[in-house]
Amino acid sequence: MTFVPLAGETPLPDTLVDLLGLGEFGVAGEFLAAFVASAALGTVLLGIVAVSGIWGKRKITAAFTDRIAVNRVGPFGLLIIVADAVRLLSKELIIPDGADRPAYDLAPMIVPFSALLGFAVIPMAPGLQIADPETGLAYLFAVASIASIGLVMGGYASNNKYSFLGGLRAVAQNIAYEIPLVLTAAAVVIFTGTLQLSEIVAQQQEALLTVGGVTINSWFAFVNPFGFVLFLAANLAEVGRNPFDIPEAPTEIVAGYQTEYGSVYFVLFYLGEFLHIFLGGAIVATVFLGGFAAPISALSFIPGIVWFLAKMLSVYLFTQWARSAVPRVRIDQLITIGWKGMLVLSFANLLLTAVIVGVIA
Amino acid sequence: MSLEQPERPGVDIEPLEAVGATEDGLDYDELADLLGDRVLDREEHLNAEGFVIGPDQVQDVLSTLRQEAGFDHLSCVTAQEYEDRYESIYHLKKYTDPTQELSVVVPSPRNDPRNESAEPVFRTADWHEREAYDLVGVDYEGHPDLRRILLPETWQGHPLSKDYDQDKPQIVPLREHANPIQEDHRGEGSDADTMFLNIGPHHPATHGVLHLKATLDGEQVADVESDIGYLHRCEEQMAQQGTYRHQIMPYPDRWDYISAGLLNEWAYARAAEDLADIEVPEYAQVIRTMGAELCRIAAHLLALGTFALDVYGDFTAIFMYTIRDREKVQDILEDLTGQRLMFNYFRLGGVVWDLPEPREEFFQKVRDFLDDVPRRMEEYHDLVTGNEIFQLRCVDTGVLDPETAKQYGATGPVARASGIDYDLRRDDPYGYYPNLDWDVVTRDGCDNYARVLTRMQEVEQSARIIEQCVDLLEDWPEDERTIQANVPRTIKPPEDAEVYRAVEGAKGELGIYIRSDGTQKPARFKIRSPCFSNLQTLPEMSEGDLVADLIAALGSLDIVLGEVDR
Repeated sequence: MTFVPLAGETPLPDTLVDLLGLGEFGVAGEFLAAFVASAALGTVLLGIVAVSGIWGKRKITAAFTDRIAVNRVGPFGLLIIVADAVRLLSKELIIPDGADRPAYDLAPMIVPFSALLGFAVIPMAPGLQIADPETGLAYLFAVASIASIGLVMGGYASNNKYSFLGGLRAVAQNIAYEIPLVLTAAAVVIFTGTLQLSEIVAQQQEALLTVGGVTINSWFAFVNPFGFVLFLAANLAEVGRNPFDIPEAPTEIVAGYQTEYGSVYFVLFYLGEFLHIFLGGAIVATVFLGGFAAPISALSFIPGIVWFLAKMLSVYLFTQWARSAVPRVRIDQLITIGWKGMLVLSFANLLLTAVIVGVIA
Repeated sequence: MSLEQPERPGVDIEPLEAVGATEDGLDYDELADLLGDRVLDREEHLNAEGFVIGPDQVQDVLSTLRQEAGFDHLSCVTAQEYEDRYESIYHLKKYTDPTQELSVVVPSPRNDPRNESAEPVFRTADWHEREAYDLVGVDYEGHPDLRRILLPETWQGHPLSKDYDQDKPQIVPLREHANPIQEDHRGEGSDADTMFLNIGPHHPATHGVLHLKATLDGEQVADVESDIGYLHRCEEQMAQQGTYRHQIMPYPDRWDYISAGLLNEWAYARAAEDLADIEVPEYAQVIRTMGAELCRIAAHLLALGTFALDVYGDFTAIFMYTIRDREKVQDILEDLTGQRLMFNYFRLGGVVWDLPEPREEFFQKVRDFLDDVPRRMEEYHDLVTGNEIFQLRCVDTGVLDPETAKQYGATGPVARASGIDYDLRRDDPYGYYPNLDWDVVTRDGCDNYARVLTRMQEVEQSARIIEQCVDLLEDWPEDERTIQANVPRTIKPPEDAEVYRAVEGAKGELGIYIRSDGTQKPARFKIRSPCFSNLQTLPEMSEGDLVADLIAALGSLDIVLGEVDR
C-alpha cells in the first residue's frame, strides 16, 4: 500500500511568511507563521464569543422575551463582558469529591478546542484561511465530533447523577444527529466533487439564475434547499439548542454534563458551547451560503470577512430564536426523530442528489 | 412497569345508590339508619352533621358511606386533641354535589390515641393521616406507611398535641438523617438496573422546595415519592394563636402565595363568617368576586408560564409573556388592595375599603385589561398549545384518570381536566357567583395538555365574571355601597361550634375547619390545601413515564409549596 500525501495549501501562514520574511528559516519559519496565524484567529474568535455570547445573547434573548437586558454597565451595557469575565474567573474552582481526575479536568478543555480546531480550515475571506487541505470537510466533521468525548467525560467524571444522565444523553444525541449532518453535507460534495472548502466556496460563485438584472449565485442553500433545512435542523441538535437541548435540559437534569463545573471550567464549557454554535454557523455559511461571497455581485465591495461573519452570526441568531420559542422534545422522541426521520430523509436527499447530478452530468 | 396495588374494598365499585340523598339536601336520619348501631352519637356541625363512630369502625363505615350513600370525596381529615380525648374527623362530600356533606367523627382515648386508617377506602387519606399523626399524634392502624410528613423524621413530640413542649430544643443531627446522596441502590433485587435520583429540594423544576425521591430505570421513572415539609411554617398553629377579627386574615395570603391571595382569604372569611353568623353585604360580595377572579387569572397565567418553563427550557419567551400579562392584573389588584402579593383585603363581613377613587379610572383599567384577554389568549394558543412539539410532549403524558383523581381527592383544574365536573363556585355557591353568567370548564383529556387548556379557558371564564362584576359595580347606587357588615369588635363564636367550609381556590378546593372554644381565638384551625391532595397523584401520573414527563406532570399539577406545606 502506498501512502499518498494529501494535497493542500496553507494560505494565511504563507502570506505571513512572505510578509514577515520568514522564508529563510524554512520549516521553523513556517511553523512560527502558522502559530501566529492561529493565535490571531483564536483571539478574534474569542472576541466574537465574548461579544455575542455574553452581551449579544442577553440582548437577543431579551428582545425575544419582551425585556430590555443589560443597559447600565458601559455603553449599551457592553462592559457586562468585563464584569462577567471578572466574576466567572474570580470564582472558586470547586472540584467534587470523587471526581475522576484527570478526566474531569480534561473534559472542559476538549470541548472548546475541538471547535477551535475546526476553524482552522474555514475560509473566512479570500486568503484568510489557516489551512486548506484537500479533505477539509471530512476533517471539519471529524474534529467537531471530538466534543462528544469531552461531554461524556465531563458527565462521567463529575460523580453526579445529573451529569451522568446529561453525558449519556449527549452521546445518544450526537451519534443520532452526526450521521444526517454528514450525509447532507455529502450531498453537497456530490455537486462539488471535492472536499476542499475553498473549492466548495468557489463553486458557489457561479450564477444560478438572473431575475430582473439581479444575479443569484448558486449557493447550495438554493440548489439543494431540502438539504439545507435538514442540515440546519441536525445542526441544532449537534450544538444542543432547542428543540434539542436534551443534554443540558435545565428543568429536567439541572445542567446535564456541566452541573458540577464552576469557575474557569464552566467558562471553558460555555466557551466551547458557543464556539460550537459558531462553528456550526461557519459550516452552514461555507457549505450552503456561499462562504465569504456577497449574495449579489453589486454588494461585493463589502469585504468577505463581513459577509462571512454576518452569515455565521445569523445562524447563531437562528439558534437563539429556536431557544426562545420552541419546546424541548423528549429523549425518546429525539432519538425517534433522529433515526427514523432525519436519517431516512438525509439518505433520500443523498440518493436524489446523486441521481440528479448523474442525469445532468 | 406496574406497581402491585393492594386490594381495596370499595375502590373500583361505582356507588350503587345514594342513600339519604333527597331533593333538598341530605336526610341524616336515613344515613344513620344505614349505619345502624355503628353510629354511637350524632353531633351538629355548622356545615353538616357529625356521626360519632368507634375507632375500629372507620373502614367499615367509610366504605359503606362510599358505596351505598355516594360519598366519593374525602375532602379532608382533621385531627385534634381535647382535654379528654383525641378526635379524627373525616370530612366527606360528593363530587356530584358538594353541599351534601357528612362528618365522620372518630374519638379515641387520650392514653391510647389510635383508630383504624381510612387509607384502604380513600387513598387520599394516606397523606392526610400522616399529617394528623405528625402534628397531632393520632396513630392510624392499618396505614401502609405511617411516617412523619411535614416535620423531620427525628422530631420529638407532636406540635399540636396538648402536652407538647414548645421550648424543648429539637436536636436534628445530620448523622441521624439518612445521607440522601448515599442511597444509591434502591430497587436492587429486581431485574431492572435502577438508579436513585434526588430531584430537589433545590431543582429548577420543583417550583419551590419540593423533594422528589425518584428511582429511575434508565430514563424511565420506576418509582417516585414526594418528600414535603421544607416550607412548613406552622400556619395552622399561627392561626390558632390569632383572634378571629383581625389577626388571622393576613395568613391566608401566605399559603398559595403566587397571587392567589384573595382566593385564600375568602376561604377563611367564608368559614369564619359561617361560624360567627355574619352576613356579607351584596356590594362587598361583588367586589370580593371580582378580586378573587383577578387573582385566579394571575395564578393561572403564572401556572401557564412556569409550565412552559418546564417544557421549553430556561430561555423561553412564554414565561416572560405571561409575567407581562400577570403584571397588569397585579397593577389592578394593587390599586384595589394597596398590595401586590399579600393583600390582606378581606375582612369578616366584607372588604376593608371600597374601590379606589376615581372609580371610572379603575373601571377603565380593568376593562382595558379584559379587552386584551382574548387577543392574549390567542397569542398563547399560537405560541404554546398550537405548537406541534408541545403537543407531542403533553398529549397523553401524565394521564390521570377520573377514578384515580377522585380517589386522591383531586380538585380544581386538575380534576376538571380529568373530566370531573366539580367547581365549588357553582356547586356550593358562595359570593356573587350564582347571580353571574359563566361556565365551568371541563375537559376529558386527563393529560398534561388538558390541564394547560383547562387553565387557559378558565382565564377566559374569569374574565367574563369580572366583566359582569364591573358592570354591576359601575351601576351600583351610591348610597347602597356597604363594604362591611356590622361586625362586633370582638368575635366570640359559641363554645364547641365546628365548621368546615371550602371555596374554589386557584388550585382547587381550599377548605378550612374551625372549632371554637368560646374565646376570641380558634381552638383548632385546619387547612385543607388543594395542592396537598393534588400532589399525591404525582406517582400515579408519572410512574412508567420518562423523567421529562415527570417534570411536565409536576408542572401541570401547578402546586405551590407554601400551600402544600403550610
